[in-house]
Amino acid sequence: MTKINKSVEDELIIARQELAFQKVEKGKRAAELGIANIELVFQDEEKEKRAAELIIANKEVVFQNKEKEKRAAELIIANKEVVFQNKEKEDRAAELIIANKELLFQNEEKEKRAAELIIANKELVFQNDEKEKRAAELIIANKELLFQNEEKEKRAAELSIANEELIFQNEEKEKRAAELIIANKELAFQNEEKEKRAAELIIANNELAFQNEEKEKRATELGIANIELAFQNEEKEKRASELSIANKELLAFTYISSHDLQEPLRKIQTFCSIILENENNKLSENGKYNFERMQLAAGRMQQLIDDLLAFSRINTTELIFEEADLKIIIEEIISDLKETIQDKDATVDASGLGSANIIPFQFRQLMYNLISNALKFSKPDLPSQIVIKSSIVNGRKIKNKKLSSDKEYCHITVKDNGIGFEPRFSERIFEVFQKLHSKEIYSGTGIGLAIVKKIVENHNGIIIATSELDKGATFDMYFPAN
Amino acid sequence: MLLKQMNILLADDDTDDCMFFKEALKDLFLPTEFTAVHDGEQLMQLLTNEDTVLPHVLFLDLNMPRKNGFECLSEIKLNARLNGIPVIIFSTSFENETVNQLHKSGAFYYIRKPSQFSQFKSLIQQSLEFIAQALTDQPSRDNFVLKAINN
Repeated sequence: MTKINKSVEDELIIARQELAFQKVEKGKRAAELGIANIELVFQDEEKEKRAAELIIANKEVVFQNKEKEKRAAELIIANKEVVFQNKEKEDRAAELIIANKELLFQNEEKEKRAAELIIANKELVFQNDEKEKRAAELIIANKELLFQNEEKEKRAAELSIANEELIFQNEEKEKRAAELIIANKELAFQNEEKEKRAAELIIANNELAFQNEEKEKRATELGIANIELAFQNEEKEKRASELSIANKELLAFTYISSHDLQEPLRKIQTFCSIILENENNKLSENGKYNFERMQLAAGRMQQLIDDLLAFSRINTTELIFEEADLKIIIEEIISDLKETIQDKDATVDASGLGSANIIPFQFRQLMYNLISNALKFSKPDLPSQIVIKSSIVNGRKIKNKKLSSDKEYCHITVKDNGIGFEPRFSERIFEVFQKLHSKEIYSGTGIGLAIVKKIVENHNGIIIATSELDKGATFDMYFPAN
Repeated sequence: MLLKQMNILLADDDTDDCMFFKEALKDLFLPTEFTAVHDGEQLMQLLTNEDTVLPHVLFLDLNMPRKNGFECLSEIKLNARLNGIPVIIFSTSFENETVNQLHKSGAFYYIRKPSQFSQFKSLIQQSLEFIAQALTDQPSRDNFVLKAINN
């Protein structure tokens, strides 16, 4: 029995499982039914909406049909109207045909009139041409008349001016006549006065005659005095020309003598140099030394003669002033002294120079002497620096008795950094042949500064030398500026 | 470009200067034929003589008797046969105006007679070298005066 029970139990289990499954299935079917019911309800609602819409649509169709019937009735009425209109049109057409025939006839009439008008127009054109010719002739005639009128008016104006002129002339004549009467009265009066004067003149003439005699006495005395003066002047001119000739002779003499004196000196030097060259190995040291001293002595004499000649020239040549650029003169001197400047490693600064009224040839000599002095007396171990400047100053500012305080002066300075000199020699250095060093140390003739001073005096100026030993020297020159 | 032989003519009345010149030429060892005349008339007679071989260069002193250097120079420059000869003035004086005048008259160089013999030689050599370079144009006024180097 257990086996049957087990099979029944198994079948029960299976059945129960089947039931459970069925329940689940029912549940699912119930859920599906619920959903289907909901769907049905929705569908019903939709149907009811469609039914309502149909009812509205039907009402609309009914209304549309009623409208169609109204339109049909109207159409019938309109057709009856159209038929009536057509009858009217046919009546009008008949009338138009009659009117057209009438118009044709009118047109023929118009063309006849038009032809007649053309002929008439040609006639008018011809008439107008004729009128224009007449009009042109009239214009020419009018211009001619205008011209004639203008000429008449010109003639009339000229005549009126001529008349005015005549009237004016007549007035002038009457004025002249009146003036003549006055003048005649005046003349009569004058004549009376003249006769009075004539009597007075006779008395005056007698007086003059006496005066003239006195004058003639004076004149003869003056004549004698003039002859005396003329003679004095001739004497002066003779003296002046004698002086000028003497100056020229002196200059020529100086030149020639300096020349003739130079020539033997040159020979002495040249022969010395030949001997020293050619007989060098034959001479003793003493002998060579003696010949060299001879050369130097001759050379010094040459230099002395040159300087004396320059000094005499300063006094005897004509003094011709001109306005000159001083920088250019200094540049020429620098060029001449090129070698010495290089040897002394010197610099010459003339940038502060302007122009001045000077005697060019003498001024050049002056600056040459000052600059070559500055180079000569430079310190051996210090490159020479020479500064040259110029400026215009008023005499009042320079406290110097020799310069007038109401004149303008050109102030030129030459300053160097050489060995200088003691202040007590500041005037002696300008004297002829005055030297401060022996010729062994510094060569020179002692004339250079004397020449400088003479040239400054020729320019009506003054020169002042300022210095201290070892502190360089400054030369201040003042020339009248005009 | 030195010529094979230079004919040098010196016109100077001073015997010493003529001697210095001759000695200088000798010391310079240049191939030269040297002639000297002692016054201006002698010079012009020599030059105008058709048979004379003309010098390559004439050294001319200014102060000579009978006819001086200025007159000779102008006569030479006016003479078609002679005006090609380079003329070097050789004089003791040195006046700026005279030097300018001589340059204008056509002289080639101006030498101031120096006092040292060595300068004599170097100046003559310098001038002969310039002439030998066969420059046919007159030098400018700046190059006119020959200067000796100071020793």
